[in-house]
Amino acid sequence: MRAVLRRHSASRLAILMIGVLCAGGLAGCATPPPASDPDAVADFQQTNDPLEPTNRFFYKINDGLDVVIMRPAALIYRAVVPNPVRTGIHNVLDNMGGPVRLANDVLEGKAGRASDTARRFVINTIVGVGGIFDFAKDAGIQNHDADFGLTLASWGVAEGPYLYLPVLGPSSPRDTAGFGVDSAMDPFTWIGRPSPAFTAESYAKTGAGALDERSRLLDAVDSIKKTALDPYATFRSLYRQNRAAKLDKLRADDRGTVPPLGTDQGTAGSSTTR
Amino acid sequence: MLFRRQCLIASLVLAGSGLQVRRAWAQAVERASAFVQQTGDRLVAIVNGNLAPADKRRGLAQIMETSIDIDGIGRFCLGRFWRTASPDQQKQFVAEFHEVLVTNIASKLGEYRGVRLTVQRGRQQDDEVIVTTIVERPNNPQTTVDWIIEKPDSAPRIIDVVAEGTSLRLTQRQDYASYLARNNNDIDALIKAMKQQVAQSG
Repeated sequence: MRAVLRRHSASRLAILMIGVLCAGGLAGCATPPPASDPDAVADFQQTNDPLEPTNRFFYKINDGLDVVIMRPAALIYRAVVPNPVRTGIHNVLDNMGGPVRLANDVLEGKAGRASDTARRFVINTIVGVGGIFDFAKDAGIQNHDADFGLTLASWGVAEGPYLYLPVLGPSSPRDTAGFGVDSAMDPFTWIGRPSPAFTAESYAKTGAGALDERSRLLDAVDSIKKTALDPYATFRSLYRQNRAAKLDKLRADDRGTVPPLGTDQGTAGSSTTR
Repeated sequence: MLFRRQCLIASLVLAGSGLQVRRAWAQAVERASAFVQQTGDRLVAIVNGNLAPADKRRGLAQIMETSIDIDGIGRFCLGRFWRTASPDQQKQFVAEFHEVLVTNIASKLGEYRGVRLTVQRGRQQDDEVIVTTIVERPNNPQTTVDWIIEKPDSAPRIIDVVAEGTSLRLTQRQDYASYLARNNNDIDALIKAMKQQVAQSG
């Protein structure tokens, strides 16, 4: 449902496509309803999807590619690879996102979250054998979402109109910019570059990331497509709500670096570090 | 002196009533959590049971009709079009909405065996209680699901389900709004589309 392919080649392709879009003068714009219908105008503004025709065009393309490539691939992946192995792959990919998450936690000024991320990365990389096992979670250090789109949001940057990006899927100007910054500050984007090993690693990571994410969403996406009258609008709504919920959670998390004595880690109440 | 005593008494009374309010809240939260646990257990028992799909659907429908305010959610989902709909359209819409909701939930849950629901905690928000649960389904990542319960004290009913921060009724409302916007705001067309959808899934 969300970003189907990640980083590297995906980001390059997305930037190219955005360039094409901009050069094309953003051909398809939605027509606002007449001012005589205030309810409809309010709806239009709330939906905030002025590029709807263009967005729908890319949704159709992505959906077509998904039906013939990504979904079947994810189904095979889920059928062939046993669950514990899939979990291990997911954990490794997730652990590789640690540095970017940490940078964003710090930029958001969230001491408790930064501490969680740092401890998770160290524990899972060393004890969890390169991130295969999530021992940190068993120890009560929960994972959380952090990306530069959310960081911008926590600084007060508005989301802007809805964007449906080729390959990457639902987004907004804020989250698209965030995606670019996250890719740029990810050490795995740069380490070992350029070498054949790097190229192989980057393709493997992108491919595995896409498979992992798509396979985790198989049932959810199938059920949305089956039950929604307008899947495009439903995905739009879900994306926005999901981002808003993540932002709420981020804002509410005011834990300091060291959990107060006698409280459970992760669920510790608010302390004063900010 | 007298004034001081009055202040003291007043603050004691205030503190007392504050305590009472807090106790009432705690009770409401407890009741709502118990209600979710009980409803969840019944749903899970049917989902994980050995019934035929049609029987499963009937069982789920029975529980949903008593524990969810389907009429209210339906009205919410039609949004501003509820006011412009004729009484007949309203009636048809609500009737069809019951079918849609049951079908959707049945299709979301029906194919699984080994669903687990764990009630985590509840909290008061305005007149409602939000009960947080963790739902585990085989082959799927854990999902945090919040159940919004109205009238937790007298007649608890579910008025919304929020999965990973996404509200069922809000998503449904925006789906319908978009469909209507693309179909000349024709409520009859919406009802027809809902019928079709149920027929295809059922």
